[in-house]
Formats: sequence, C-alpha cells, structure tokens
Amino acid sequence: MRNVFAIVRKELLQYFTTSVAYWVFAVFSLVTSFFFIRILTFFQRSIMLNSQMRPQMLQYMNFTDQVLAPLFYNAAVILIFVAPFLTMRLIAEERRARTFDLLLTNPVTPFQIALGKYLASLVVLLVMVLLTLVYPLLVSAYAEVGAVAWSTVFTGLLGIFLLGASFTAIGMFVSSLTQSQVVAAFLTFLVLLLLWVVGWAGADNAGLAREILTGLSAIEHIRGFAKGVIDLKDLAYYASLIGLGLFFTHRSIETLRWR
Amino acid sequence: MIEVTNLVKRYRDLVAVDGISFKVEKGEVLGFLGPNGAGKTTTMRILTGASPATSGKALVAGFDVFEQPLEVKRRVGYLPEQPPLYDDLDTRSYLQFVARIKGLRGEKQKNEIERVIAACNLESVRRRRLGELSKGFRQRVGLAQALLGDPEVLILDEPTIGLDPNQIVEVRTLIQKLAEKHTVILSTHYLPEVIQLCKRVVIVHRGRIAANDTLENLTAGGRSLEQTFYDLTQQ
Repeated sequence: MRNVFAIVRKELLQYFTTSVAYWVFAVFSLVTSFFFIRILTFFQRSIMLNSQMRPQMLQYMNFTDQVLAPLFYNAAVILIFVAPFLTMRLIAEERRARTFDLLLTNPVTPFQIALGKYLASLVVLLVMVLLTLVYPLLVSAYAEVGAVAWSTVFTGLLGIFLLGASFTAIGMFVSSLTQSQVVAAFLTFLVLLLLWVVGWAGADNAGLAREILTGLSAIEHIRGFAKGVIDLKDLAYYASLIGLGLFFTHRSIETLRWR
Repeated sequence: MIEVTNLVKRYRDLVAVDGISFKVEKGEVLGFLGPNGAGKTTTMRILTGASPATSGKALVAGFDVFEQPLEVKRRVGYLPEQPPLYDDLDTRSYLQFVARIKGLRGEKQKNEIERVIAACNLESVRRRRLGELSKGFRQRVGLAQALLGDPEVLILDEPTIGLDPNQIVEVRTLIQKLAEKHTVILSTHYLPEVIQLCKRVVIVHRGRIAANDTLENLTAGGRSLEQTFYDLTQQ
C-alpha cells in the first residue's frame, strides 16, 4: 500500500506542477457555470410565465429538480470532453520518456502502478466535482430555506463522480496502449463519445434493443442520481466500468514488459 | 553474485540475445562491452527485471530474476541508457519518489537522499526542475537514483556518456569507490574507463559472447584493448 501512495503522491505532484489539474478545473468550472446561468435564467422565466398564466403550476416548480438535475446531466456530458485530458498523460508519457523502466525495475507490482495512477486521477476528479457545489451553495445563500434539497445535490455529485471515475478508468487503459498523449486523448474521447451516443441509438429503437442500448449508455445512468435516486443497477454499471478499466490497465502494463 | 545461463531474448524475427552465459563475483566490476546493437542493453534490462527473457536463467544476489523479481529489484540499482527522469519534478522530489518506491522511509530516506546528492555532486540543482538540467546533471541524477538504498548490485548502462572530462573523472572515482562493496556491471564504449575500473571483461557481439576473460589476458602480448575489441567484433 505504501508503494501505491508513493505513486499517488508523484502523480499528484505532476498533475499540479504541469498545471494540467488547474486547466482541467478551470475549463470544467467555466463550462458548468455557463450551463448553470442558462438553466437558471430559463427557470426564472418559466416562474414568471407561470405566475401570470397558470399560477396553479407554481407549486410543481422546484429548483433542485429543474435546475440542479439538468445541470448535473450537463456536467456529465462535459466530463466526456474533460476526462481524456485528465488521463492521457498517465502511462503514455512514462513510456515515451522511458521513465516506465524506472517503475518496472523497482520493487513495485504492475497492479500497484495502475492503482496508484488511478487513485491520483480520482483525487483530481473529486476536487473538480466538488467545484460544482458552488452553484447550490450560491443559490442557498440567496434563496429561502429549503430551496435546495441537499440530499439530491449529494447523490447528484456522487453520480458525476462515479461517471468520471469510469471515464478515467477507461482513459488510463487507453493511455497504456500508446506512447502518444494526443492519440491517448483522442481515442479516449472516441470511446466516451460512443458510450454517450449509444443512448441516442437506444431512443430510436423499441423493446429489447432500446433496453440494451440505453443500458449501455454511460450518461443515461446518471439520470437516477441527478434526481436523487441511487439505483443498484447504476452503481453496478459504473463499478463494472471501473473494474474493467483497472483490470485491463493491469494486463496492459504486464504486456508492456514483453515488448 | 550474478549468474547468467543461456539467456535468449527474441523479438518476433530478431534475436537480440542468443544464449549468453557469464558470472560476476561479489565485489567485482565487470566491463560489459560490445558494439551498438550487440545485445548489451537487452541483457541488462533482463537482469533488472525490466523485460523478461525468452529462455534461460538469470540469478542476481541469489534470487531468480523470473521467479522472484521483487527480491531482485530490491537489491539492484539500475541506470538505463537514457536516465529515467520526470522532467516536471525537481531533483529532490524525484529522488524522494524513487526512495519511496525502493521502500526507504523516514530518517533513512532523508539520509540516503542526502548521501546520493553529495556523492553525485547535485547540491546546486537540488531545487531545479529536471527538465531544465544539462545533460551532465541529468546523467548524474540518474546515477544518484541508482545508488539510493545502497543496493548490492549496480547495473550501469553507459554512465559517463554526455559528461565533460572533469565529470567523467568524478564519476569514475565514484564507481571505483563503489567497487569496494558492490558488484557492478558497467557497460561503456570508453575503453580507458574499462582499463581503469574493471578486472574482467565480457565482450558481446551479435547476441553472443565473443570474449569473457580478465583484462590482463585480453591485453596480453602488448595488444591494446581496442585491438582486441576490433578483432573480436569484426566478423
């Protein structure tokens, strides 16, 4: 375990000295804040409209479900674009700079290497996800008590974190397949994009095909979390992606020694 | 200390190492010579556990490289051809990281880092980013990394490459000092270095052993080591 922490520390040091982490934070916050303002403005406008036209509708309007839930959904989509940059360096760069030999010739196991790198990317991801907390905090500072349903906020953040954790697991594996960070980022992006659009294909179908295709879509599994529902099948979905990503990265590091 | 038997490494259609066997005794500095592409680096990578052999056996410090790789890795310091440096880290945090994965903690870790910084003359670049360092410094940080934890066996792949004449003398003196307590495999193209540091020499050519003898025998009859090397590696 100490070896794992040594690798986590080194990776975090690199995330912050190369300022990759800061860029990722900045871009993620910038885009989520853009969506937040848009969704909030839309929400305000519908309140005004409803209060004039259909006052009875007002009791159904609720900030958490109509602003935060779509915001979380959007944040999930943004992750598709941000996650590849978080993971592209992890193994590809070590191979290119020949530092991978340093890890292979010291008493650390391939699994410790994979786990250490993965945990470091999770730390950066966690900070990034927690930055989203600023929106409900802002609103609760100005709105009346009870406007923000905090339990829903936290399940939503948990959902985004799990989704991001699946994306980084996939990204780390892809990063182990090439020596080029650009190729790693691009391939990861393609895979994540596929995991998103497969849900659209699901919507075009009916019956079993629809079930399977939407079931495969990484983004569809966030809907429950965004509404404050933790469903076992969503947890199982993300857990399997994370498990598979780590497993394949481990195998990939093993085979790297043979080349 | 090191015992290599019938080592073979094949890459698809290329045979990089073709049945190499040799021994290195404890406290010996072995000169490991050969033209570029002869299989020196491949052999050293196998001994350090960076890459597995296709067949054959390698024992380092009494442990089989393939059966107990972690035990071997704990006892070997390796300086690859290209020093494995993280350009974004500074010298100190880099050495700290390597010390940690070598299992050095607390006081011991601190002392070891200070020891190798002093031994390799890195005091002036302690806080500098590795990416900014000159080739000579990079080479010495690489050497410092290999010395951390005072391993019994040192495998050095062209340790003096890229150094200026003064630094070459320093590093040679350092290796000479290390030779008293350590077992060293030294790969180099500078033959005067071999004459100064090694008692025994292995010359590899096209993946096979061309010579495995004492320096005295290889230079017997007034022949220069250059001449012997040339004769053995021309066919």
